Amino acid sequence: MRVSLLHEMLAHKGATCENRYGVEIVSKFTELSTEYHFVRDTIGLTDFSHMQRYSIPEATAVDFFDTLVAGAVIRTRFGRMLHTFIADESGTILADCFVANNDDEYILLCESIVDDVAMAEIMHKHGGAQEGLVDLSADTVLLSLDGFSAWKVVKELFGTDVLGLPYLSVENYTYENEKIRLFRTGKTSEFGYLLMAPKAIAIKLTEHILAEVEKHKGGLCGLTVHDTLRLEGRFFNIFAEGVRVGDPLVLGLQWMIDFDKSAFIGRQAIIDRREKGLTKKIIGIKSAAASDRCAVSDSVWDNEKEVASVVATCFSEVLDRCVGLAVFPADIAYSGLSFHLKSVSGPTLHTISMPPIMPKSLSLKLDEM
Amino acid sequence: MTPEMLSYIDRRKAIVQKFKEELIKRLNLPYTPADLHEDVSLLGAGLGLDSLDALEIVLCVESCFGVKIPDQNISILRSINTIVDFVIETQDAKGGTQ
Repeated sequence: MRVSLLHEMLAHKGATCENRYGVEIVSKFTELSTEYHFVRDTIGLTDFSHMQRYSIPEATAVDFFDTLVAGAVIRTRFGRMLHTFIADESGTILADCFVANNDDEYILLCESIVDDVAMAEIMHKHGGAQEGLVDLSADTVLLSLDGFSAWKVVKELFGTDVLGLPYLSVENYTYENEKIRLFRTGKTSEFGYLLMAPKAIAIKLTEHILAEVEKHKGGLCGLTVHDTLRLEGRFFNIFAEGVRVGDPLVLGLQWMIDFDKSAFIGRQAIIDRREKGLTKKIIGIKSAAASDRCAVSDSVWDNEKEVASVVATCFSEVLDRCVGLAVFPADIAYSGLSFHLKSVSGPTLHTISMPPIMPKSLSLKLDEM
Repeated sequence: MTPEMLSYIDRRKAIVQKFKEELIKRLNLPYTPADLHEDVSLLGAGLGLDSLDALEIVLCVESCFGVKIPDQNISILRSINTIVDFVIETQDAKGGTQ
């Protein structure tokens, strides 16, 4: 099992850890509600070192990625990132990826449902070694800064330039003479940044950032709270609906795919399913009453008939309701309908438009930063 | 399904389809209407459209459905579904479909 370079430090700060697909992750530090409010109201700092990360020289990167990931890497401009996925031959999602076109290299960041050995095998089969692919996962740390005020900390670290970075961009900075790759990303709907730093400064940088975060009354978060944050923002979560559904078309991830590409892993299976047409579709759901809770695998009923199944759910503090995602037959997969949960006479459930919440960060203007 | 729900589905489906077709045409998107999930984020994440595209979407909604999206109301533009919700609510407030 791969362990983060921050293991000792985070354990000392009260981390509860678990094994997720062969990588030790911090699931939480404190109450989930506390961590949730760090992000929604101020800043949460999360160790995202579970993500597999690779570097590949610019000269060979486009050809390598073009047949590996589903998206159009070739159209990713300098300094920008592509959000896409890696599938297996059956067209089932294995990894949710960002590909960053960064200076003289491309960086691949993966959240996957396969362990490091299986991912290394995929890269090996794909000719990674010959193309100069370097696995950075064990030698770097990846920190995620998320929240309404997350920009304040990166501005403090790297200057006001960071405020102009658009979503899905990458930039290099220096800290203690070491290179830090800063990715403007995030899946919480609030401001989000990923910082990749080498081993030599991993702990010092983390302590520094945490001190800044705490100045703003933020704190450390585990990965569990990110399930709620992602769902509220309707960001794809490979660890929730991703692993339970698998099919990128049912998941509504067609926007991550370049259908004009001649080859990528799983392309034929995905194209075949696309041509047959969708019979199922994932859509948002919300309980009618605050006291009604739903769980993964709960059935959804219309009159006497079971029509859908819940694949992701959380309690949204903002909405004071359970929200989630369920897979419905495509012909009735529309927002604004009412069904019942668990049985024909169960609690009422509404299908809803996603994302269901309006994040505070969207109300902030550049001249207010 | 009650007749009311079926009627609502037909109405929503028609609005969604019309909007998707127009969006693909105006923004030259490399997708079919079936490829565009109604919850996909339009700006930033997801389709990654920019502010000029956002203006095109506002004009598209106005010309397709006779509905004007208020200035600065960025929350309406978050997904196809949030736009369709706004179109339906506005049409209902005006007293019917158009």
